Parts: sequence; structure tokens; C-alpha cells
Amino acid sequence: MLVSSVWVGGGLSARNYVEVFGNPQIWVLFRNSITLAALTTALAGITGIILGVLIIKTDMPVGTLLAAAFSVPLLFPPYILAVGWFEILGRGGMLSRWTNAAIGEMTSGWLFGFPGAVVVLSSAFLPIVLLLTITYLRGVNPTLEEAARLSYGPFAVLRQITIPLIRPGIVLALTLVFLLTMGEYGAPAFLRLNVFPVASFTQSSALYNFDAATAAATPLIGVVLAGLFVEQKALGQRSYSFRWARPQMSQLIPLGHMRVPVVIGAMMLALLFVGVPIAGVLWRGSSAAALSEAIERGASSAVHSVLYATAAATLVTGVGFFLAYLIQRRALIGWRWLDALGLFLFTLPGTIIGIGLISLWNRPSTNWIYATPGLLVFGFMAQYTAIGTRMVAAGMSQLSPSLEEAAEVAGVKWFRRVFGILTPLLRPATVAAWVATFVFCLRDVSLPLLLAPPGQDTLTARTMTLMANGSPELIAALCLLSVTLALGPVTVAGIAWRFARRLA
Amino acid sequence: MGEGCAEKLAAVFAMARSTVKHPVKNVICVAIAAVVLAGCGTSHKNAVTVYVSEDQVFSEPILKDFEKETGIKVNAVFDTEEAKSTGVMNRLLAEKNNPQADVYWANEPVRADVLRQQGISFEFRPENGREIPDQFKDSQGFWTGFSARARVLLVNQNVKGKPSGVLSYVDPKMNGKGVIANPLFGTTTAEMAALFSVWGDEKGNQFLAGLKRNQVKLSTGNGESADFVASGQFDFALVDSDDAVDRLRHGKAVELVYPDQGEGEIGMLVLPNAVALIRSSPNPDNGKKLIEYLVSKQTERKLALADCAQIPLHPGVTPPKELKPIEQTRTMKVDYATLGAKLQAIQPVLKHWVGY
Repeated sequence: MLVSSVWVGGGLSARNYVEVFGNPQIWVLFRNSITLAALTTALAGITGIILGVLIIKTDMPVGTLLAAAFSVPLLFPPYILAVGWFEILGRGGMLSRWTNAAIGEMTSGWLFGFPGAVVVLSSAFLPIVLLLTITYLRGVNPTLEEAARLSYGPFAVLRQITIPLIRPGIVLALTLVFLLTMGEYGAPAFLRLNVFPVASFTQSSALYNFDAATAAATPLIGVVLAGLFVEQKALGQRSYSFRWARPQMSQLIPLGHMRVPVVIGAMMLALLFVGVPIAGVLWRGSSAAALSEAIERGASSAVHSVLYATAAATLVTGVGFFLAYLIQRRALIGWRWLDALGLFLFTLPGTIIGIGLISLWNRPSTNWIYATPGLLVFGFMAQYTAIGTRMVAAGMSQLSPSLEEAAEVAGVKWFRRVFGILTPLLRPATVAAWVATFVFCLRDVSLPLLLAPPGQDTLTARTMTLMANGSPELIAALCLLSVTLALGPVTVAGIAWRFARRLA
Repeated sequence: MGEGCAEKLAAVFAMARSTVKHPVKNVICVAIAAVVLAGCGTSHKNAVTVYVSEDQVFSEPILKDFEKETGIKVNAVFDTEEAKSTGVMNRLLAEKNNPQADVYWANEPVRADVLRQQGISFEFRPENGREIPDQFKDSQGFWTGFSARARVLLVNQNVKGKPSGVLSYVDPKMNGKGVIANPLFGTTTAEMAALFSVWGDEKGNQFLAGLKRNQVKLSTGNGESADFVASGQFDFALVDSDDAVDRLRHGKAVELVYPDQGEGEIGMLVLPNAVALIRSSPNPDNGKKLIEYLVSKQTERKLALADCAQIPLHPGVTPPKELKPIEQTRTMKVDYATLGAKLQAIQPVLKHWVGY
């Protein structure tokens, strides 16, 4: 992509870059993207951290249930939340019908702008902050907090001991939310917000100008690299880890008379961030006629979605396992770069990865991959290998290398050490990595739009193409289908997990 | 899943089981099985691949009917709202040396003619398109038009002093009252190319400057323009006839005005769908069958009755009840081939005007 973008008319030229950076519109887009990402990070960050602390560190009731409710948006593409809000706040939405058209006009103007996009993307990415905050809080050594409690009150301990200890997790979460918002295509496109990924998609898809799209994407690549640099700096030599073992918990902070108001506030927030948009989609799309049309138009695409996600999740978990081994066991010089590269690709907008793959494979000699779903699976692998790698690496970090060392001393070969010892012990981490990758592939929009072969689109891509003059009922019903498709496997995996734990 | 797919799948499993030991075997089996299953449709011999810029919601039922009637599997690629009608055309341009599509179903003929100019389409004159007036077909047979949209003015019913033509946009009395879709995309690009073609570049540029001077609002698409007019935010908009019919059918307070119908005036622009056969395509015979089906009276009737309310070009096929038959209107006399060249020529002007 980069070579092609500077190779114009048979020679080196900066023409594409001069044209792109000389265009004032690019800087407007850049400012819009930065503003959107900053506001989303602030809202999702503050809300997610506070909720995480309340759930883990206080005696607030129904914490697990609330964490699950706030995490639901992670299962489907953010544009579904945008569609849900549109059904509530749009010109013909629920609010406009219940009140009057003028209010509908006002709320529609609010939705189709920064305020709407910030709320939609904050609710979509809040689970990342929440889950990472919970994970890091569970990893804090309780003896440090208990020692501090001898001299200080619980809130002072929280402020001066606990929060600084989970700072790497917070930085990681905020960096991820910032970068994922910068790269998000579906929701801003639906909300008609002029941001970088939408412009990049237009350059590549509407104008099919890959070189200009590459040039236009470079500021975004710069932001991604800067974000990763910040994350690496904040983490230092540490690598974050999930604790699969049951954590030792310190004493919970009593909320006292604030217990009920706090839990009601958290529930109201869950209702606002998750319940309202899903209710909007349900309200518009749950009629028998709409669901029947959605199934008729989207069933085969849903099957494709599941098959592509299965293939990609399986390959990502397999590749991720070996990459995790290389990173965790420091088995390769430059392992840190390998880790950073995976995270870089994860945060890179899908449109850029898609454009790169098309540029590489769109030629007769490589038609065997270009004309097949293999190209899309490659795209998913490029984007999501970091999930498999990081999750398996986190599981691996809980295992002592002495197990392998003992086997090595006993003469067991590397292949058997890995598949006879590590694989069985890492089964929970591997299954979790597979499910997470599956869900991310299932909810992806921009890669299938660019890379799915003719007649074999995914449900998310089909919903986006049907949005052109498709009835709101059909679009809402297709969104419901997407939600069901994601919830199904995750629910099954959750039940199986609990069942297996109970048996163990 | 076809028999071939089942055999492929069985072979993959057998190979994996016999050559690789547990647990890599399982990973390989699952991944390959999913890719094989997902890719089963691609090697379909009795298939046709079509790139479609007509809205999926209207075009897909026609393609499904074709599948049912002929047994030929249709693999389609559709445009998104953001890519407007240019995404798949540009994909065809990018795939010039590695064609994947057999047929291009364009929602207007200008871009179909760009393919002719680029040497991407192939000459084919469908038998079913014989009765379609020559004005709506390429003289050399590189594309055939069918089922048209007209560019009409949608006007709010409460407006006094209604616009009568496209020049109403630059009438000082209409300052701040008009809205038009982004001319970089969709049928508004074709409208601009037609106006530049009919008027000449100088008057065309004056018109663009006049739009800015008269504070004409730029919308994201014709649908949004129509909504602005229906809600009374703007007095009028130049939109496609299907957008106008949709608002009329929903009982909005709007009326439809055929622009520039007076004696000596330029008339309204008519944009038929256009279908083209792709050069060196994988399944040209099936491509020809699909083209015959698309340009038939039967398809035109279906598209007239559908929500897209398109105007049939075959004589004797009844139009939607909200619209006049094509022969009862004054249409803009444009050469769609010239329009294609003009569209490319004015693209930098339009980009600059929009601020891209």
C-alpha cells in the first residue's frame, strides 16, 4: 500500500500525499475524529472505571449482573446501538410519536452529531474499560490495601493505593477505546458523522482510489502508533494479565446509606446505555412481518457470518497460541515488537487492512484467494490475532515454566511438551480466546464490506447495504438477528463453562 | 450444501485425520471445514456474478426471481449508502485485469458508459430490449437501459411561488429555500454532468457558483433532501422520482413538479437503469441470460409496481400511478455517452466545489 501510494506514473512521487494533506477537508476530518475519540474515551473511561470500582471494591449488590448488562454491547457492532437510538430519538422515532414532531426534530439533530455519536460509541466501548478495570482490580494484592487500611480510610486507600496499582490497566483501556473509536466505521457512517474511517471507506469504495486512501490513512496510522507508544510507556516492562484463578479479595468498602441510590443509579445507567437502544430496535423490528423478511433476506448471510467467524477464530486461536508462546516465554528476539505489531493491527481501522489486502491479492495469479472467502478470513486474522495472542498469553502467564522444564529434563520433546502439557492446562484461556475472537469477527463491518466475495456477504455487511432505502422495520429486524447471532454462542459457551467448572 | 462441497469436506477431514496428530488436527479441521463450507458457492459453474448499484432492497427480489425461473445462481455485490452508486463501478475498474463480475447493473447509464470508455464492458444487444427507445441504449450495444427514474422537483405544499425548473435554485427569490444532494455521488452527479453538457461549461460553472450564492443546502442524499422538504425545513429539492413517489405515498405535504417543461426549455433528466456485460467475464452466457431478463417487460412491470416506482421504457407497460408515462413528458435530450465523459471531466470541479 505504502509503496503503491508513492509510486505514481512509473516513478517516485509524493503527489498523493501533497493532494491529501493540501486538502483542508482532511484536517477537518482529523479534528472530528480526534474530538470524537477524546470525548468517547472520557465518557466511557470515567463511567467504566467508576462502575468497575463499585462492582469490585464496594458492597454494591447485583454487581455481576450489572457487569454482564454493561458488557452486552461488546457482542454486536456499534451501529446497532445507533439504529436503536434512531428508533427512539429520530424524526419518526418513539419520542417524536409520544410528544410532537418538533421534539423529534431536535433530538434527531442531537443524535446525528457529536452528542449522539459519543453516547453510542461510549456505550459500545464502555465494556472494555469496565472489564479491564475489573480484571486489574481483581489482580491487586489485597495485603497492600489491608496494610494501608491500618492508617487510612477506605476511600483514601482506593485513591492512593488501589487506583495507582491498576494504572497500567486503565491506560490500556483508555488507549484501546481511543484507538477503536478513531477506527470505528459503522456507527459514524450511520450517524452521518464526517470522520476519518468514513472518508477512508469512501475513498476506497466509492472512489476506489487506494493510493489516495492510503495517503489519507497515514495520520490515522500515526495516531495508532502514538497510542501504542503511550500504552507501552505506561505499562513499562509489565504485561497485563487476566487471573484465571479465583482471586483473593480485600475487605469490601461499605456504601452505607448510599448503597441503594448507587445501585439504582447504576441500573438507570445500564438502562440508558444498553436497555434503551435495544428496546428501540425491538420496538421497530420485532413484528412477525419484519422478522420474517429479515430472516428471508439475511439467513444465508448469517450462516456466512458464522462460518467466517468460526474459521477465523480457530485460526486466530491457533496462531495466537504460538505467538503467545513466543511472547510469554521470550522465545524470540524482538518478542515485544511482535506483541506491539499485533496490537497495532487490532487498533488499525478495518478499511485500511481491507485496502491493503485488496491491493496485494487483486491480480489473476492470486485469484484463488482474492475470489474466495479466504481473503476475508485473512483480514480477520490480521485484525484480531492480538486477541488470541493476548488472551492465551495471559493464561500462560499463570503457569509456571518449571512444568515444561521438568518435562524437558525428563527428555520430553518440544512438540509433546507444548501439546501434552501446555495445551490441556491452557484450555480455558484458549476457549475464551476463541469465543472472544468469534464475537469480534461476527460483529465486524468494514472488512466484510470490502472483502466478502460476491453473493457471500456477512449479516453486518448485508445490513449496511440494505440501509440504502431499506425499511426501518427491516433494518431493525436485521439488527435483532445480529444480536441473537452473537448472544447464542456466547450464552452456550457461558453455560458450558459453568457446567465444566461445576463438574471439576 | 452441494454434493461437491460434501465430498470436499469429507476429503479435507480424511486428510487431516490421517496426517496430523491431536490437537493440531482439530484446529486444522475446524478452520478448513469452515473455509470450505463458506467457499462452496464460489466455484458454482451454473452461476452469474452481478455488481449492482441499484438499491439492494429493490434489485435483490428481481435477482431472486431470475434464480427461481432459470436455476442459475446469482452472486451479487451491492453498494452501501456511503459508497452511493460509485462503489461497485470503481470495483469493476479496479478489477479490469482480473474480472470477477459478469454483469453490471447500474442505476443510471452514465457510469455504465464509463465502463465502455475504459474497455471493461462488452458489446451485447439483448433481444428483449428491442422495443426500448434508442435514446436509452448505447448505439454500439455496450449497455442497455431499462426502468427509469426521472429527476423531478419535490415541493412543499405550503410554499407560495413554486419553482418550475433547475434554475429556480439560483433565483434570488428562492435564497436559502432549496436543498440538493451532494453532487459528488449518485444521480446528482449525473444531473450536473447533464447540465454542463446541455448548457456548456461556462453556464454550468455559473450555476454552481449561483448555488453557493443562493445558500443552497447540501444534503447527504436525495432521500434526505426529500425529508427536508416533507418536514418543511426547505421549500424544494431536486430528487429522483422514486424519492418523490415515496413521500407522496406516505401522505406527506409535498407535490411533484416536472422541471423545465415549457416550450424551448431543457426538460427533465431521465436516468434509466443500465445493464452491461463485462469483457472476459467468468460466465458470459449466464450474464447474457441475466441481461435478457433484466431488460424484459416483465422486470420493468415489477420495478414499476415496487416501492422504487420506476418508469417503464417499453411502450405499453403501465407506469406507477403517481407518475406520467414517459412519452407525456419533455425529457432532456442528452447523449449518455457524452455525459460519461463530461462526468469525468467535471469531477475535479465538483470536488473543489464540495470542498473535498
